[in-house]
Amino acid sequence: MIASGWYPIFLREMLLFRRKLLKLSYLFSAMATPIIYLLAFGLGLGKSVRLSGHDYLTFLIPGLVAMSSMNNSYTWVASALNLNRLYFKTFQVFVQSPVSPSSIMIGEVLAGMVKGLFASLLIIVVGFLTPSGFSLTPLFVVTLLLNCFLFANLGIITGMISKSHEDTSIYSNFFIMPMAFFSGTFFPVDKMPVFIKPVIYLLPLTHTNILIRKGYLDKEGFISLLVLIAYAMAFFLYGSRLIKKYSE
Amino acid sequence: MIEAENLTKKYGKIKAVDAVSFAISRGEVFGLLGPNGAGKTTIIKMLTTLSIPDAGRCMLDRINIVENPFAIRQRIGVVPQENNLDRELTAYENLLIYGMLHRTKDLKKKIRESLEMVDLRDRRDSVVSGFSGGMQRRLLLSRALLTEPAVLFLDEPSIGLDPQIRRQMWDVIRKTRIDGRTVVITTHYIEEAESLCDRVGILSKGKLIALDSPCNMKATIGEYTVEFVDPEGRLVQHICRSRDEAHDIARQKNNSVTIRKSNLEDVFIKLTGERIE
Repeated sequence: MIASGWYPIFLREMLLFRRKLLKLSYLFSAMATPIIYLLAFGLGLGKSVRLSGHDYLTFLIPGLVAMSSMNNSYTWVASALNLNRLYFKTFQVFVQSPVSPSSIMIGEVLAGMVKGLFASLLIIVVGFLTPSGFSLTPLFVVTLLLNCFLFANLGIITGMISKSHEDTSIYSNFFIMPMAFFSGTFFPVDKMPVFIKPVIYLLPLTHTNILIRKGYLDKEGFISLLVLIAYAMAFFLYGSRLIKKYSE
Repeated sequence: MIEAENLTKKYGKIKAVDAVSFAISRGEVFGLLGPNGAGKTTIIKMLTTLSIPDAGRCMLDRINIVENPFAIRQRIGVVPQENNLDRELTAYENLLIYGMLHRTKDLKKKIRESLEMVDLRDRRDSVVSGFSGGMQRRLLLSRALLTEPAVLFLDEPSIGLDPQIRRQMWDVIRKTRIDGRTVVITTHYIEEAESLCDRVGILSKGKLIALDSPCNMKATIGEYTVEFVDPEGRLVQHICRSRDEAHDIARQKNNSVTIRKSNLEDVFIKLTGERIE
């Protein structure tokens, strides 16, 4: 029951995604923010900043990949699910079909991951084109996949609990955007004041940023990996529960 | 086939559906008639597992809809009141996704037949956003029938359609009962209920106030209605048991009068003192 029902949901999202890509507006919106940050912080500010003896771009690009994968996996899922549930009513087709809540969850999350990975790929390409010494490691790829999975699951939760489309923006403004800035995307979290560190280490993107910059899995990385897996599992289970309990 | 017992749904303090009970036989076309806000759509949502009842019980094919929604979803097709097609996908893609969700066998063949049935085969690869309202309603109907459901739920199937398209829609709905399918329709169109339904339940403010065949309901209140405008400009209606009684009343009036067959709206007015639309 879990394995088979997800595919039509994933296929639907991919058919819609293909049409969005052909319009090119999606491509620009996915790339705009990270490219602006790359130009402003990386190529502008970055020339005069060095971190742990490395060029700032070397630090920044993995962070931008983490941020971009978070934004795109989360936003497209949360926004689409919310609109489909409240306005277009297409979500109701899924819940009136003989597919399990976890199948709906898997289909939507995989689609969100594809969108997050697509946006990340654009930054990765830009990373290779800059003189940053940027490279892909297996741990980088695993972290990226896990980050997309985690935030797509969070997108489902937001899409399900938001009572209006405006609500999804509120969650973005108060949770996702601050997380992008305070989780080690643009500067190391160990430079932050001690009193705020416990909060920062509660944020999942902090652990993505720790893990994605490591060449191999050490003790700190292992803890971050466990934290990300725990968040991902919790979000998946809670999202599935919200779908199961859905009632109008 | 369907048994609802004291079905109740509240939204806050408002009882949208208030202890409604009815039974629908296999192969029957059953209508729920009532004005907007009477509770018709809420009942459909509960019967199709989209909404969980606050009280009461409902069985479909002896399966409890709350305890086993998965099994219910394998047996039903739904045409919702609000269009929930994917507007950015083609007609074919909409049916493909729906058929895959329901694990429909021989899907491509069934999609072809479904589109033919509603006369949309030549628009198979057109994006739905370019369809007229009538075409979208027809596509919704073909989607609901794609999986050959035992029970078809139609929530205001012809809402917003012009009279000609509405009649085409009714023809397609009539065809669906040929293979013994049970059909549940909600409507606030009197003509639709009379034309399609074997039995009709009349709803007012969440309560089921009458349940019978349209003929029996009209016979109960009187088969003829005399209508005339009184000196204050109000439309007055007299429901009569016979044509002679109607003529007697008409003769007593100096102004112009209309004698017509009673309809389900007259039944509704008689029962509630209000109009349906």
